[in-house]
This record gives sequence, C-alpha cells and structure tokens, in this order.
Amino acid sequence: MKRSCLIEVFDGIDSFQKRIKVQSNIIEGNSKMYRNSIWYRSLLDAEKTCLKEDKLKKIHYKFQDDKEMVEEYNVDTQVLLRRAWKVKGKLGGEGKWDVEIGDPIPNATPITDGPAADIIESKDQPILSRRNTRINLEWRIRNLPYPIETYSVTANNDQRCIIISTTNKKYYKRLQVPELDRLNLPIQQAPIQCSHSFNTLIVVYKKPQQLLDMDREWYEELSKVKPVKDVPNDCKAQ
Amino acid sequence: MASIAAAQVQEVRSITRIERIGAHSHIRGLGLDDSLEPRAVSQGMVGQKMARKAAGVILQMIREGKIAGRAVLLAGQPGTGKTAIAMGLAQALGPDTPFTSMAGSEIFSLEMSKTEALTQAIRKSIGIRIKEESEIIEGEVVEVVVERSAGGGGARVGRLTLKTTDMETNYDMGAKMIDSLLKEKVQAGDVITIDKATGKINKLGRSFARARDYDATGQQARFVQCPEGELQKRKEVVHTVTLHEIDVINSRTHGFLALFSGDTGEIKSEIREQINSKVAEWREEGKAEMIPGVLFIDEAHMLDIECFSYLNRALESETAPVVIMATNRGITRIRGTSYRSPHGIPLDLLDRMIIVPTSPYSHQELREILNIRCEEEDCQMSADALTVLTRVATETSLRYAIQLITTASLVARRRKAAEVSMEDVKKVYSLFLDEHRSEQFLKEYQDEFMFNDGSGDAPQLMEVSQ
Repeated sequence: MKRSCLIEVFDGIDSFQKRIKVQSNIIEGNSKMYRNSIWYRSLLDAEKTCLKEDKLKKIHYKFQDDKEMVEEYNVDTQVLLRRAWKVKGKLGGEGKWDVEIGDPIPNATPITDGPAADIIESKDQPILSRRNTRINLEWRIRNLPYPIETYSVTANNDQRCIIISTTNKKYYKRLQVPELDRLNLPIQQAPIQCSHSFNTLIVVYKKPQQLLDMDREWYEELSKVKPVKDVPNDCKAQ
Repeated sequence: MASIAAAQVQEVRSITRIERIGAHSHIRGLGLDDSLEPRAVSQGMVGQKMARKAAGVILQMIREGKIAGRAVLLAGQPGTGKTAIAMGLAQALGPDTPFTSMAGSEIFSLEMSKTEALTQAIRKSIGIRIKEESEIIEGEVVEVVVERSAGGGGARVGRLTLKTTDMETNYDMGAKMIDSLLKEKVQAGDVITIDKATGKINKLGRSFARARDYDATGQQARFVQCPEGELQKRKEVVHTVTLHEIDVINSRTHGFLALFSGDTGEIKSEIREQINSKVAEWREEGKAEMIPGVLFIDEAHMLDIECFSYLNRALESETAPVVIMATNRGITRIRGTSYRSPHGIPLDLLDRMIIVPTSPYSHQELREILNIRCEEEDCQMSADALTVLTRVATETSLRYAIQLITTASLVARRRKAAEVSMEDVKKVYSLFLDEHRSEQFLKEYQDEFMFNDGSGDAPQLMEVSQ
C-alpha cells in the first residue's frame, strides 16, 4: 500500500481490522465498557460541528459545561492528527487553544509584549509534542542530545503519569495520559517503548484494546455529523 | 564567573536608572505610631500633625474596607504638604491596596471623554483578590547572564539557567524580567519562583548546596532545599487585579484586528455591567474578595462641573473607592460655570466631603524638611548654609529652597569642597530667581519686553476665551 499519511505506514486496513476482531472476540465481555464512561457520554452529548477540508475532517465540540474542543482527523487513515482545548482565563477574555495532540498551532500574531513574552524557554531547550498513530500513543521530545541509556521511562499508576528522568539530571518530565484517564484504564509499564534518534526521544505507549475500540467506534459515530457546506473558502494563492 | 561580574556592572547601571529622586521620594509613610499618633519627624514627614492625624484616621477607614465612596479634600496653600500626605498614605497602605494617582487636568484628553477617564480612574482604584491557577517556574538559579546585543545601545538580552534536583533548563529573558531580577538581587544559588503570567519574582532563599559560600550570603540568609521534579508547575496563586484590568482583558479585540485598534480607548458600558455582575457572583461564592482602594486627584480644581456632578453620582455606588482630592485654591470660579465656590468645588460635592486643612510650616519644620531633602539628594550641607536656606524657604517658598539644594551642591563640588557652605547657597540664590524676584524684575523692565502695550489686560482676555 502506498504511503497514505506522513505519520504511519501500515499494511492495509483489512489485516488491521482482522486483528482487532480476533482480539475483541476474546474480551467481548468488557470491551464495550467505554460506552459507560463519562467521557464517551459527554462526547455524545456535545454539540458537534464538522468541516471537511481536502483530506482533513475537523470537528468542533461544544460540551455541556461550556468547554470547547477541536479534533482533526485524516480522512484516509482515520487517525486523529490534532486535538486542542480552548482554555479561558478566569478573568475572561478570548482564551487560547491548548493543543493536547499534534503540533502546536502557530501564532499568527506572536506575543511581543507583556510578562508572558518576557521569560520563555530558549530555542535549544527540549520541546515536547504529542502525535498519536492508529495503534500507539506517542510523545516526541526534540532537542534531547543525550544517548538512549541516559533516560529512564517509568509508568507511575499512583500519580497517573509516565515519568521520564535522566541520569545526568538534565531533563525530567511527567507525561499525562488523558486518553487513559478518561476511560479509567491503568497506566502500565509493559506497553511502553522508547527510542532515540536525531536528537529526539520517542516514547510510545501501545493503545489498550478498549481505547482502540472506542477510537474506531467514535470515528464511525462522527460520520453521522454532516459537514457544513458553503464555507467561505480561504483565499488560496493560485 | 565573568558573567556574574557582568551582571553586577549592569546592576549598578540600572539602579541609577530606576531610582531617580522625585519631589516626594523622601516620603516613606505617614510617620504615625501604632496608635496612629503622628511622630514629630518620621518616615520623611515633618509637622502638619493635625492633617497627618486625620490621614491616619482615613487610613484606618480604608484598611477596614467597609465604607465605600467617601471623599476627602486636602486643602491648603501651595507647598504645605498635600501631595506628600497623599503619597504617605499610599505608602502606608502598602502595595496590595490599589492607589491611583492622577492630576485633575489628566481627564482632558482627546482619546476619550471626561467621564470615561474618570470611570477608568475609579475602576483602577478597586482591587479584586482572586485565586487563579497559574504557571509557576520554581528552581535554583545556576546562572544569570545579561548582555547588551551587538551594535551598541541595542536591547539587552538575558539568559537564566534554573535547575531542580532532576532537571535543568535555560530561559531567554526580556528587558523587564532582567530589571526585576536585578532589582531582587537574584544570583546563582538562590531558589526563586517566577509567576509566568505576571512575571512576579519571589525569592524563597538560598540553596543548601551553597551554604558554604559564607562570603556571598548575608546573616539573615534563609537556606532551603533545591526543589524536586519539573521546573514548571501549575499552582493556585492569589492575584490582585483591578476592575479596570478585567475590563481591558474582556474588551480587547483579538486576532490580527488587534493590530489596527489601540486598546486604550473607551470601554463599553455593557462590558462593565457584565464584569460587575460576574464579580458580584464570585464574591457571593467566596471566590474573590474586593479591596476598595484610593483614587487621588491632585489639583482637583482643574475638574469641571460635569466631572463634579459625575463624581457626586459615582461616589454613591457601593463599589466606589475612597476619593482623595487636593487643591490649593481658595474661593474661586468652578470650572465650566460662572459661579464661585470655596476651593472651586460645588457646594453639594463639598458637603459630601470631609475636609482636611494643611497649614504653612513653621521655621523649625522648614529646616527639618530641608535637612531631609539634603539627605535624600545626597548633599552635605553646613549648619549656617542650612540656616540661610531655611530663611530663603520662609521668605520665598519651600519648593524654591529645595531647588537650591542640588544646584548649591553642584556649585560646591565645582570648587572641590566636601560640604555646601553659605557662600554656595548665596551664589545660587543670585543665579536663579525665585518667583517673587522674577515678578519684580518684570515690573521694572516691562516696557522693554515684546508685545507689551503697558495696559496689562492681556491675561484677562485669555481667561474669557477659555
């Protein structure tokens, strides 16, 4: 199969779904548990708007507690490329988007004044980004030059996070795993893998079956949301 | 090591830049003791005991925060310490109580209407203390580097390296952050927190790891553990913001449109109403606390009749701050009318005020004030020079005498004397005219000046056209 997206190359949807079927048959009993989770219900109840743009499907959710979220799916691979939350300050104001998965949204008007712009991490400091694939949760930390032996990546189920620490005491990070939190799934050591290349540490957590099932079912659910027509097109430079 | 030395050189330079000596920079408080009795000479305040006692009572009223919308008028001749008392009050209230200081003429702006300017001033004087989750950077300082970017006179760039027991990160700093780091005298080995939203720096103490550097620490240095885990944390912090700041946050145009609209313009009344109800909601839920502050309007006679009637109404609102006005006018025309009234303020507003009079200083008090100013302006003055200066102050004005301090010290320095002598004062007295002698001079030589027809009615013409 040709490379259908930048993130993942996999050997055809058919074999993949076969594998899921086999596994889901084994644990049919509790595999639909996610349907009872608060998260799944709030997704169902949320007011959804859909936008289709080339190979992208953008969904805007407005939850009943007034929170806002945006998801972007690749139509070909059905992979979630980006998920962002609108964070509003307590004092009001427009709020800004906080990206949970995917690359951060580039700021059209970079902050040039105010205290926020006055202290920022240097450009050569490690940057964390989330980028999920179909079967994995993935964290990429760029600008980490130390060799692979330096890092220790451990699951900490009590604090609900994955902890990355370094033997040279240069980097330390607690990775939250909201996907697992939402379904009340444990964070385990076994599904964690990590690799290091090109100054980048990649931490991979294999999605548990529940999450895989939910992702799949939710994508089908989303096809019920009709995309908005007559969107004024962005001025594309010809 | 070189970088630390660089930071110290920088420090000297910035302090001379920050701390210039203003007309009232010798004032550090109201000079009251714990029972609010005025001390004779304290915190830069001299004499004016009754007025200071009255200010002490007002201070108590503001601190309790129960009474809203009172107005106080400080009335007295020029140079009797009205502004000094207001500044002292601001200092005594501390940094947590909002204190807005404005001159009466500031409201006459082309950008916004007079009432808008007054509303903004009033809302700047009401603080809201609110708990908010904020990004905090907490760590031990490894290195502070401040450099001037290439090309001379360029913007300063700074780099701050912080660490915890588990990690280390470099930060780039802007000019404001560099200034506040230098002001707090942050150096390697200090454990600090920085509030990312406000840029506020808090020094927790020195790291235990540095406990051996005896020479670098003072006696009262507090030693703390180097923090653990991540440098950036989310923490609940209590912020004090003013109502005006909340207004601005909620009325600012966002996106690229913000480039085309300045955010200092007028704020819609609907936004203010929304914010008032939101704040009332927070207060009911116990999430926020209101801190009524002080609005100080200097030269209050410059306000016109519209402002006075607006103030009349605004003072009745329960979210009004305590308004302190100062004026040096006697019975004069109310601006914008042809009526005359005491202090140039309409009687109905005067009726709502408590009036604190200030009286001219005595000879001894003037000497004391001049002495304090000499210290403030870092100038050694001999006893007889001070006597002469006091006489100058009694005969002309206190402000003129204060002007002579630094000028006289410059003259003394030119003849390489350590102390300012009587001759130096006499010299500058002859070099610089005071207002009275200047008037004398003009009267004498009036005929030789331009545009003079000898009738002397030009000023009245201007008064009418206004």
